[in-house]
Amino acid sequence: MNTVWSLAKVVVLEMVRRKDFYVLFILTVLLTGTAGSVNLFNDRSIVRYLKEICLLLIWLSGLIIAITCTARQIPAEREHRTIFPLLAKPVTRGQFLLGKFLGCWVATGMALVLFYLLFGLVSGSRDHQWPVLNYLQAAWLHWMMLGIVIAFTLLGSIVFAAPSSNGTISFACAAGMLLLGRHLNKVALSVAEPLQSLLYTAYFILPHLELFDVRELIIHDAGLIRWDMVTLATLYAAAYGAFFLFGAWLAFRRRPLN
Amino acid sequence: MDATLSIEKLRVEYRSRDLGEATKVAVDGLSLHVGQGEVFGFLGPNGAGKTSTMNVLLGFVPPASGTAHIFGVDVIEPIARQRIGYLPEQTYYYKFLTAEELLRFYAGIFRIPKAETERRIDAVLKLVELDHARKRQIKTYSKGMQQRAGLAQALINNPDLLILDEPTSGLDPIGRMKVREIIQRLKGEGKTVFFSSHELGEVETVCDRVAILHQGQLKTEGRVSDLVREHSANLEQIFLKLIGYSPQP
Amino acid sequence: MNPVLPLALALATAVAAGGRLLLWQQSGPQDSGSLLTLLLGESRRAFADQMFLKADGYYHMGNYPSVFDLALPDGKTHMAKESEGHDQHGHSQPLPHHRDWLEAFGHHFRPTGHRHLDGIRDGREILPWLRLSAELDPHRVDSYTVAAYWLRERLNRVPDAEAFLREGLRANPDSYEILFELGRLYAENNRDVPRARAVLELAINKWIHREAAKPAPDTPSYRLILGQLATLEEQAGNLDRALAHYTRLKHFSPQPDAVQKRIDEVLTKMARPK
Ligand SMILES: Nc1ncnc2c1ncn2[C@@H]1O[C@H](COP(=O)(O)OP(=O)(O)OP(=O)(O)O)[C@@H](O)[C@H]1O
Ligand SMILES: [Mg+2]
Repeated sequence: MNTVWSLAKVVVLEMVRRKDFYVLFILTVLLTGTAGSVNLFNDRSIVRYLKEICLLLIWLSGLIIAITCTARQIPAEREHRTIFPLLAKPVTRGQFLLGKFLGCWVATGMALVLFYLLFGLVSGSRDHQWPVLNYLQAAWLHWMMLGIVIAFTLLGSIVFAAPSSNGTISFACAAGMLLLGRHLNKVALSVAEPLQSLLYTAYFILPHLELFDVRELIIHDAGLIRWDMVTLATLYAAAYGAFFLFGAWLAFRRRPLN
Repeated sequence: MDATLSIEKLRVEYRSRDLGEATKVAVDGLSLHVGQGEVFGFLGPNGAGKTSTMNVLLGFVPPASGTAHIFGVDVIEPIARQRIGYLPEQTYYYKFLTAEELLRFYAGIFRIPKAETERRIDAVLKLVELDHARKRQIKTYSKGMQQRAGLAQALINNPDLLILDEPTSGLDPIGRMKVREIIQRLKGEGKTVFFSSHELGEVETVCDRVAILHQGQLKTEGRVSDLVREHSANLEQIFLKLIGYSPQP
Repeated sequence: MNPVLPLALALATAVAAGGRLLLWQQSGPQDSGSLLTLLLGESRRAFADQMFLKADGYYHMGNYPSVFDLALPDGKTHMAKESEGHDQHGHSQPLPHHRDWLEAFGHHFRPTGHRHLDGIRDGREILPWLRLSAELDPHRVDSYTVAAYWLRERLNRVPDAEAFLREGLRANPDSYEILFELGRLYAENNRDVPRARAVLELAINKWIHREAAKPAPDTPSYRLILGQLATLEEQAGNLDRALAHYTRLKHFSPQPDAVQKRIDEVLTKMARPK
């Protein structure tokens, strides 16, 4: 565990010292600020569209940070050949993968904390409400969802030969699942047979990232999500994360490095 | 067998991704034994298979056949690497870390206690003369400084066996001398050093024994003094002869 | 160069464009159409639909049908209908039935239950989306009429509603829908009978011009305009005009008896000596 944590810390440090995060954060602040400064029928108390825009930007940024950070880890280690002195030390391939996963996940989590603080400020300054627990639930679920994304991006960075395509593929898969995942069963209803079974299978097998997207609840000031459901969702994410990590380990375990 | 490092009938192959392209045999039937406390020079022209052999020793590439053991442990096991220091042939270290942070990171992997870590970092940085730049990010280092940082990381766990792939490449004459001194000092401490090099003069001065590899096959192996006596020539001449190089008329 | 970044940048630009548009709208709505055409081309209409759906979604507090739900039978937005004042639209609360466990689980993470917004606080929240929808597709008439309905009826901001409708009318000079909303505003809020009359009569002309020849004309709208006009005239004391409009309305109404009752009332009033 010590080894895994050491590896993770380096990933976090890298993220802190790179500019990607700051660019996205500033972009989010600027765009939200722009949208917030718009005068809508002279009514300053209109706030939900602002929450919507801010959350959309946060979700986009979260995906970008998680995927770019993860997708470059292993290719960069190989390209810069830093993987050689590292794996020449008593580190198993499994620990290496776990360390990379943990690092990316923690780094993304840190970014989310800042993003959700910003969101709380934006919405609170208009609304004068501070539903801290609701935001906590939303950020937590968001983080869990990104855990799945990070795990499959990590798997992708081992499976796909061209490292640059992995980022795009992962982004497209995650975005596709977020937008369409919930509807695959309905789409299946409307198509003919061989395709129908296929779509249903996909519906039940693929990780439903959109479950973790509780933006609507936040925007419309709905109540808290039941905590047992949050726990279940967390377990759901853990199961998929573990599954993808296991796949990554299988693929990487005996992979020659050269 | 009490050899620190033993290689038996090792064969290393690179399978090509493209269909139709033949498998490349990089090392073929190599057997080598390095005893404790020896400084062993691993020689051979470019493409001979030196790095490939080391890749097996460190578990990067699985052997196609044959075995390799370090301290009696099969190199497949990660624990075999606890007492090794490895300097790769060419590496860029994590550019966004400082030398200090890099070493602290590696020390963490070896589970070296905190106080001990700081003590060793001071020692190895002084040894490779990077003390003045320890708080600078590695991306600001020159090539030679990076090579020194590499040497420092190879020494951080106070290893009993050092595997160095061309440790002097990219260093200035003073740097080279320094590396030679370090190797000699490690030998004095009873450590085993296994290193590849193209600097035959330097090999001659520091090595107890050498092996010469050519096209994946072992051409000769023995004490430098014995080889010199046997062939009645210096190491360079022996080397050229063994790899079948005849000077142009 | 990581390929995710340009992709993300494109998305961010789209969002940014959205924000920019809102700003643009404030400074001067006149020639924004051309900028948008340039920016988004034909896709802007699709975006406008999305914005309108978003407004509908806000109206239902986040629980709104997706395109996929709409494709299934019985899926329809009805925020616009609401704006016509028919508050008694009868979607009986359907018991949440889930096709599978994933849907059942998912319902804990999304707004559920058919809840409409009420009160001033919630109502105004749909306005940014309608404005954006109108901005993206100025020929989408619903955006103006629905927004005007909310501004006028629920938020009591008649001048804003009028300005927005006028803006819609500039983009859609032939829209009897907008003219009707405008007429209603003059009649009910401003009590400006001559203007209301002028606008509503114009609406009728536009309707006849556009719809009358169609095989399936939009008679509900026609009835609404006629009814509004008839009531206006009746209240203003122009009973013979009111009578003419009611008679015409009766011809189109699915409940001619109810209209006949109004006609009888007018006739009684007319019989009454001054
Ligand atoms: N990843 C690889 N894929 C295919 N062939 C490889 C690969 N790495 C090395 N080889 C081949 O294996 C042979 C041995 O290479 P190796 O790197 O071990 O040589 P070397 O002795 O270290 O040479 P040098 O002195 O140049 O470092 C070479 O012919 C090389 O082309
Ligand atoms: Mg080499």
